[in-house]
Amino acid sequence: MGALPANAYVELNFRPNVQLVSVVRRFVSEFYQRTLGDPDGSSRVALATHELLENAVKYSKDGETTIRIEVSSASATPRIVTILLRNRAEDSHIAAIREIVDGVAAAKDAFAYYQQLLIAKAKRREGSGLGLARICAEGEMKIALEVQGEDTVELLATTEVNVEAAA
Amino acid sequence: MTDTNVIAVRSDDFHAEATHQNGVMTLRIAGVADYAAVDSLEKLLDDVHDECVRANVKQTAVDLRKLEFMNSSCFKCLVSWITILQELPAASQYKVMFVSNPQMHWQKRSLHSLRCFAEDLITVSETT
Repeated sequence: MGALPANAYVELNFRPNVQLVSVVRRFVSEFYQRTLGDPDGSSRVALATHELLENAVKYSKDGETTIRIEVSSASATPRIVTILLRNRAEDSHIAAIREIVDGVAAAKDAFAYYQQLLIAKAKRREGSGLGLARICAEGEMKIALEVQGEDTVELLATTEVNVEAAA
Repeated sequence: MTDTNVIAVRSDDFHAEATHQNGVMTLRIAGVADYAAVDSLEKLLDDVHDECVRANVKQTAVDLRKLEFMNSSCFKCLVSWITILQELPAASQYKVMFVSNPQMHWQKRSLHSLRCFAEDLITVSETT
């Protein structure tokens, strides 16, 4: 990641709060629209970005979060969008994230899995846990989890955007 | 009840208002429905549902045309609302029509997810 100079990227390091999440979503939405030029593709990766950021707000141990977004060169088809979110989290939260990531990864159909989660979570008052599944189903992204050291969580979301087909 | 606001909620980035007139409930949701809006939206939908049942409403319109974004927690509130509606006896159920903005591309995907959940109760239309 970052090896190709023609790739566009943005990296933000901040302490997340509810207000900042929407500020960052608006900023990255503009970034996606400028770099991808595809409204639908931009919309779905912006949705994914927002869900990842809210996840960070919910799970961050110390509030410190880094997000790096990279869009592959315009000469590449399809365009690859990569979102990396890094923060520190408690063991219980890491386990919760891992359960969802593993569940989505094991599902043959991300949309069907999301629908099952919607039904299962509909009547629960506590946190929905739907955000990561939504990223895969509606954002059409693949997600992966890595834990560095004791408590540093890296969530990586990737997708392809076929700009030529959308143009 | 005729032409009376059921409930309205407003914050810096989020606004929702429900009105009931001639047997039709209209709910307008605008702005950004994110983490800060979850409790307000949940309460609003509970109240809307209670009013629909009390007044034997048969049609509810949900106008999302000015809704910039809705996060998964707020989306879950919609799912919960529809789930409660599905559990009513058929005679007490009401239809829900979502009016979406085609320029808000996320709405098409999210409303498709919601409609798959309750195709017999939900319709979606697009208009700017």
